[in-house]
Amino acid sequence: MIEVKNVTKRYGSTIAVDDISFDVKDGEVVGFLGPNGAGKSTTMNMITGFIEPSCGQIIVNGNDISKKPKKAKMDIGYMPENVPLYYELTAKEFVTYMAELKMVKRNVRKQQVQEVLKEVGLQEVQNKLIRNLSRGYKQRVSMAGALIGNPDVIILDEPTVGLDPKQITEIRSLIKKLGQKHTVILSTHILSEVSQICERVIIINKGKIIAIDSPENLEKATKEQNSISITVEDPKDNMKNLKEKISEIDNIELKRDNNDGTKQYIITSSPDVDLRKKLFEILPKEEIVIFELKKTETTLEDAFIKIIDKAKGTEPKRKVENKKAQDSSKDVATKEKNISEERKNKENKKNTEKEEKK
Amino acid sequence: MWAVFKKELKTYFLSPIGYITIGVFMLMYSIFFYLTTISYGSLYLGDLYYATARYGLLLMIPLLTMRMFSEERKNGTEQLLLTSPRSVTSIVLGKFFAAVAIILITILFSTIYAIIISFFGNVAIPTLIVTMLGFLLLAMAALSIGMLASSITENQIISAILTIGILVAPWFLVDISDIFSSIDLIDKFLNFATGVISIADVVSLLSITVMCIAITIILIKRRKTVK
Repeated sequence: MIEVKNVTKRYGSTIAVDDISFDVKDGEVVGFLGPNGAGKSTTMNMITGFIEPSCGQIIVNGNDISKKPKKAKMDIGYMPENVPLYYELTAKEFVTYMAELKMVKRNVRKQQVQEVLKEVGLQEVQNKLIRNLSRGYKQRVSMAGALIGNPDVIILDEPTVGLDPKQITEIRSLIKKLGQKHTVILSTHILSEVSQICERVIIINKGKIIAIDSPENLEKATKEQNSISITVEDPKDNMKNLKEKISEIDNIELKRDNNDGTKQYIITSSPDVDLRKKLFEILPKEEIVIFELKKTETTLEDAFIKIIDKAKGTEPKRKVENKKAQDSSKDVATKEKNISEERKNKENKKNTEKEEKK
Repeated sequence: MWAVFKKELKTYFLSPIGYITIGVFMLMYSIFFYLTTISYGSLYLGDLYYATARYGLLLMIPLLTMRMFSEERKNGTEQLLLTSPRSVTSIVLGKFFAAVAIILITILFSTIYAIIISFFGNVAIPTLIVTMLGFLLLAMAALSIGMLASSITENQIISAILTIGILVAPWFLVDISDIFSSIDLIDKFLNFATGVISIADVVSLLSITVMCIAITIILIKRRKTVK
């Protein structure tokens, strides 16, 4: 159990973390989400006792990290950002050293080291120098260092950064497995990761918590409209007049002309209306053949962007603002925009190319 | 402390630094063995240790201390150390005594020449032991200064140059005023070299050591709040 109470961290006049409070219950897997520079790593560093909060209290399993650091740190396994390792040691030596630092008893040390190495899949390379290991293996060595000593709480700072897709899925399933026995806090800015692994999400921006909820609830809460993706064959072009036939439709938008007689539309309505049944009833009467009909889900990604944007809009101007965090969050938002625009452009290009060919 | 000590000592020999340090010592020691002992046909080893302490330590100490905390900070591995349940004091002492162990090894090697000399005449063993003790205390004081320098920067070169600067500056400052002789470490070795244990020297060398270690501990603990 981790209790974070009104924690603030100031660097000179900038506020990195601003009066945050949350609890993590035993056995929970919690995701820490936020744009770069939002204060994720700072918060994690404070929970692990690496840096001291300017004010506030952090309690790990009943022990205050500032007042009883030894007891509190015994219960924490930490995998820091950027996987710091001793490159001149072998994987096994490193894990053994971490075991010694964490006061694992001598008589069980060897056995525990082997167990952890097996758990993260390092047995084959355990006698190789860390210097010579690939990025994915280095990440695992760092993870082994966090797991050794069987701590109740495991804190992982961006555990999947820089890995290839296969390694990512492996690390994710490992984290899921860990979640059965340990309390896990992980930070990331990969959203699909969170919705896959975490039971609860804490979204943090500019040092403030702006949402704590399960991924599903966040998706639901930020849903402003229902949208349906539909592919139809419509020789008489009756789709245009559909809005008059079904009054609940807010908007019909042509998304793509497939150039084989079928067209894809996006139909939106208010979130409490489900149009699917009606569409199935009415479209055949209009001589429209349905090829495909699908309810499009809002992703955590949408939720995240919406929540962050909302926080930006409603937040009163703070006297001391973390400029860096702000800039980087803007960067992320604009990047996301750029990416979606790029995608649209590409699609348009494809379509025009197809037409030209015809 | 033991865990850190073991790992640090091992690291000295995994990287070439341990070997280089011992090598530098033996090189200096051998040159001065010729210059101060063989060329004079002398049995007195005090001058040999004095010269080695004066010039040899200047090279050895930064080698041993420059990476102590600078490297940990630069690589981020200090995060591993400082989030472990070990206290800052035990980490600092572990690192310090690992470096002291290397100095002890060099002192052990230095006995070779004493043994060689003993074939040609009687070596004053008690004097030699006192000299070695002085060398150890002097090296410990210098190591603690180097460690302190290492704890305030993440750049190993800056840390090394700082250490050399602090050790060398008093040589020339003495010419400005005699006051500075009190901070000249090598000055405190002179009595040991003649086989005299002066309480004043022992106390001043030890207090410099303890003070620098304490400041290192305080600085690292303080970084938690300002970092």
